[in-house]
Formats: sequence, C-alpha cells, structure tokens
Amino acid sequence: MQGITRLIAAFSAAALIAGPAAAQAPAEQKADEVPSPQQAERERAAAQPGNNAPVWKEVRSGQPNYTSIPGRETDVLIQPGARFPGQSHFSTAGEAWRQFRNGVVTFYGGWLVVLVLVAILAFYFAKGPVKLHEPPTGRLMLRFTDFERIVHWSTAISFCILAVSGLVMLFGKHLLLPLIGATLFAWLTMLGKNLHNFVAPFFIVSVVVMVIIWLRDNLPRAVDLQWLNPAKVWGFFAHSEHIPSGRFNGGEKIWFWAGVLGLSIVMAWSGLVLLFPNFDQTRAAMQDAWVWHASAAMLYICASLGHIYMGTIGVEGAYGNMRNGYTDETWAKEHHELWYLEHKGDRRVGGTGGAVPAGAPHMKENA
Amino acid sequence: MKKLLFVMGALFLVSACTERQQVIDQASEKRYQGKRDTQPWDNDPLAYAKAAPNSFAAPSWNKGDRASWETQIKARNERQNENKRIGD
Amino acid sequence: MARMKFLCDAERCIECNGCVTACKQENEVPWGVNRRRVVTINDGVVGAEKSISVACMHCSDAPCMAVCPVDCFYRTEDGVVLHDKDLCIGCGYCFYACPFGAPQFPQAGAFGLRGKMDKCTFCAGGPEPDRSEAEFQKYGRNRLAEGKLPACAEMCSTKALLGGDGDVIADIYRDRVLRRGKGSEVWGWGTAYGPGKPGAAPAQPRKS
Ligand code: SF4
Ligand code: SF4
Repeated sequence: MQGITRLIAAFSAAALIAGPAAAQAPAEQKADEVPSPQQAERERAAAQPGNNAPVWKEVRSGQPNYTSIPGRETDVLIQPGARFPGQSHFSTAGEAWRQFRNGVVTFYGGWLVVLVLVAILAFYFAKGPVKLHEPPTGRLMLRFTDFERIVHWSTAISFCILAVSGLVMLFGKHLLLPLIGATLFAWLTMLGKNLHNFVAPFFIVSVVVMVIIWLRDNLPRAVDLQWLNPAKVWGFFAHSEHIPSGRFNGGEKIWFWAGVLGLSIVMAWSGLVLLFPNFDQTRAAMQDAWVWHASAAMLYICASLGHIYMGTIGVEGAYGNMRNGYTDETWAKEHHELWYLEHKGDRRVGGTGGAVPAGAPHMKENA
Repeated sequence: MKKLLFVMGALFLVSACTERQQVIDQASEKRYQGKRDTQPWDNDPLAYAKAAPNSFAAPSWNKGDRASWETQIKARNERQNENKRIGD
Repeated sequence: MARMKFLCDAERCIECNGCVTACKQENEVPWGVNRRRVVTINDGVVGAEKSISVACMHCSDAPCMAVCPVDCFYRTEDGVVLHDKDLCIGCGYCFYACPFGAPQFPQAGAFGLRGKMDKCTFCAGGPEPDRSEAEFQKYGRNRLAEGKLPACAEMCSTKALLGGDGDVIADIYRDRVLRRGKGSEVWGWGTAYGPGKPGAAPAQPRKS
C-alpha cells in the first residue's frame, strides 16, 4: 500500500509542490469504520493463541508499536516494504532505497552528468563558440547592475559548492576514495557535508532574491517561442544565427523558470526535510526526500553545465557581461535586439546604475 | 591531446557507476582503506580466566589461535542454554 | 567458523529492558543513544502481546554498509558489522537504509545536527586496538576479545535474547522449540541474513 502511494507520489506533479513529507502522510482512518487490519490481527492473535502468524505480520508491517525507548521510530521493528520507481518488487524500505540510490541514481545520474559534459565539450570542439558578426563599437551599455551581479554570483558560487560537495557524497567513494585514501577523503567529505549544510540556506535566500529581481524580465514574450524551435536553436549555436529577444532570451527564460525556480523549489524543500532531522520526520520521508533531492540535483547540475558553458566559452562576450556588468552595443544588438532597441543609448538600463564610470571596462576588440 | 585527456576523464567518471560488492575478494580486500581491526583471538585471555580455569570461568584460549578461541566462545555460548546449564 | 548472530525469542521476552540497560552500562553508550531497544506488539492486549528486543542484526548483505558515502563499515571474520567513527561524517544514510533502525546519532549541535553514528557492535569494539582505552571511549567494551559474548544476551534473565555463533544459538533455539512445541519463528533472520535474491550466495566478510 505504501509502495503504491510512493509510486503515485513519485510521478505526480502535485508532489513536487506538496513535497515528499506530504506524500508520506498516512491515509486517514475513520474511527467508526470496520476494525482496522491492525485491530483484526490483534483479535486473531487473542482468539488463536497457538497461531503466531498475526504477530509476525505486524512485525513486518512497519507499524508503530509500544516501546519505552525515546526517539524517533524506535517503536517500529522493521521498516515497512516499499518500492521505488523502476523496482519490480517490494523490499524493506531501507533496502529499496539503497537499491535505488546505489543503482538508479548513481548509474543513470552519473551517466547523465558525464554524457552532458561530453556532449557540450564535443560540440565546442566541433563547432566552436557563438561569435559576433560585427566588431564591437566600443560603446557600452549597462546590462547588469552591481546588485544583480552580487546576487548572481552569490547564487552561482553557492551552487557550485553545493554541487561539488553533493557529487563527492554520491560518487566520491568510487572516484576519490581510492585515490586519496580514507582519512583525507573522510575529512574532505565531512567538510563538504558541513559546507553543504551551511551554504544551502544562503543559496535558498540568493535564489529567492534572484527570482524577485529578474521575474519581470523573464515573463515570456511571443518572440521567445522561437527558442522552442529546434532548427532555430541549432542555427544559433552552430551558425551563430541571430534570434531576436528581450533582456533575456527564450533559453534563458526556460532556465529561469524550470531551473532556477522549479528545480530550486524541489531542491530546497527536499533539502530542508533532510537538513533538519529534529522535526521527527520518518525515515520514509527522508528516503523520499533524498530521492527527489538527488534526482533533481542531477538535472540541475546538467542544466547548470549548459548555462556555465554558454556563460563562459560558449558565447563570445557573455562572461564579461556578468563579470563587469557592461556589454558592448554590438553584443546587445546581436543577442538581445529588442532590449537593445528599447534601451539604445540609455546607460541606466539595469535600473539602479548611474552613468558609465570613467574606468568602466571595455569589451576586448578581437572579434 | 586535449581530446585524449577528455576521453580519459570521461571514462574515469563513468567508472563510478557501480555498487561495490561486499563479498570479499582480493580487490575488495585492498580497497577497504579504513583502519585495520585486529582479530579477537589475537588477544591474551583475561587474567582470571587464564590463571584458573574453574567452574566460574570457561576454559580459555591460546593467543592467536582462532580455533581455540572459537571453541571457548562456543562453550560459553552453551551457557545461554538453561536446559543444559541447569539440567531438565 | 563462527558467524555471530542475535536471536530474540518473542515467546519469552518479558519486556524488562534489562538488555537495554546492560548495553548502556557495559558500553557507556552516549547520552540519547540506545543501541538496543525492546518493542512490544499489541501492548496490553491479553494473549496477543509479544515483546522483541532489537539492535543491529549484523546483516549478511548490509544496507548500511552499501550506502555509507565514506565507506567506513567493515565486517569482521565473525560476521560482525563494525564501523570507524573517525571516518563517519554523520550523514544519516545508514539510518535510512537499515531495516531495523539500528544506527543512532548523538546530537552534535543545534537543529538536530547528527554526530558520529553509534550502533551495536556485538560487543566487539571497533578498529582501534582491542581492549584499548581509545576503543572503549568510541565503541564500548570489546567482549569478544575478552572471550565473552554480548552483555545483553549473556545477562538476559529469561534467556529470550540469544547471541553468539549462529549455529550454536540455532541449536539452542531448536531444542527449546521442540520442548515447548510452539513459537519457532526466528525473528528478523529473513531480513538480516536471508539471501536477497533466490539462489544468491550470502555475503562473505570483508576483512578488517
Ligand atoms: S541491522 Fe542495520 S546497522 Fe546492523 S548490519 Fe544490518 S543494516 Fe547495518
Ligand atoms: S552516518 Fe556515518 S556511518 Fe552512517 S552512512 Fe553516514 S558516514 Fe556512514
């Protein structure tokens, strides 16, 4: 029964928002209904003193019993049976989780990250970065204010810390441990775990601020639909063909809504369930939270690899924009034409910035 | 050169996608990197047991001799059987 | 070769919690941690009440061992599952994975931050030198190295809890079941020692 609940939970979009703990909520039992299975087993046990089957059934059911030992779930003898997506039969929840973690998540998640990395680098070597067609004008436009850049880099750096420490906790045993030995590896992982725990709240706050400041500019516009057209997207990446867009293009908007907002919600919620074991959540809740956390993390890491690629070596000039806050008019025209047309000559586009200071960096003249 | 490094790196990463066997073989024997534990039979018996095997102490074992340690542990184990210890 | 196991006889356990207390005092278990606990099924229902003492069962194919991110578990040649507290990072994964809820965590800081995992050692200490002060501080008494068996089983007043070589305690139990003619179930053995898949060979020890 619980396994079915888990399956449904795993596939339902509602659980994304309701979160793993809610998916674990036991079905409510009404008092005036027929006796519960537990009650029936009790009566059976009392009526047939020689028959131990009811007792052993209850042992395996994972139901809470009586114990005088304080602590969470000390009154459960054996975890109930469970089945995670892709598993054909029920096993003890812990065992099922172990198989899901060490099997599905490690295998497919690991492959996914590796393949995305391979694909990105293969593409880079085959086609090279997206280039500008015309030389920079030397006239700069303010693209990101100081505040926006602080928020962006807070999020980015904390994301990287979380991603690396998370990957070490999942794969380090296989990759790093044999290389550096148990003592150093355990020390590193301990450091990683503590960083993971303490950087996570910082990341959540950064994401919240980021979503607030960039929400308006990420509202979808009709032109963004072109980013759903594979031919156009391929043309952009492979042949540097222009797709007109506002301050953020369709691809960036998908990243914003699905990644920065959607995946962050999943990560934050499941992460908080795991981070604070003092709220007496059950092991089942934490197992489910872990599955959501790790699966979403794999997707998030893959998506961020794409974002990092485009923000650094993949698109000429993109990195300087976020680093310095200023972009050349040529870049603006070729990548965000609508934004450029709206704000041409306006040096306070980002909002809070003033005139371009004298020492403002210029885009390199090497196109 | 870059490509070669890159392919090697990818293979290295892919090698992570396994679950380790708990079954002992030569590879796993080398792989466990934690502190090595000593065996229980590599210790001297406690002084009282060594000094006088009597009705209160099970016969002791010889340091480093696994078989004798197991014999003594099994003998002690039998003391959990009250049918034998007390008799019927 | 001895293969250490626990067996709790639900027909006999009277829920005195003596094993819990014996364990706590023998091993000087940290505050807030109980390596062993007694659970009562159908508490107060006449005729249907059964109690079972449970701790780490020292599984053959141990889920805790499989999920530990720092790989700090090992199994001794006697089949006892032990871990190295110096390596443990307190992630709690072994607690999620263990069918019996054996791994426990002393609270190490605010917000329920977990300290080093602590669990039943079958009174076999840990990887520190046997019978040393360091071993006692971290893991408790190493009774196997003293030629003794776990304190909980040895002091159990009704001999409901048996602990020791699997063959010997199975014999004791068989003898007992034959005499009383009922209650032959060996609690938790299917989960802890049964081969995971039909026909699978049981796991061998990973040497310490
Ligand atoms: S009972 Fe739990 S802690 Fe003990 S070996 Fe099995 S899985 Fe590990
Ligand atoms: S809590 Fe410690 S022993 Fe348990 S899985 Fe994590 S690192 Fe391993």
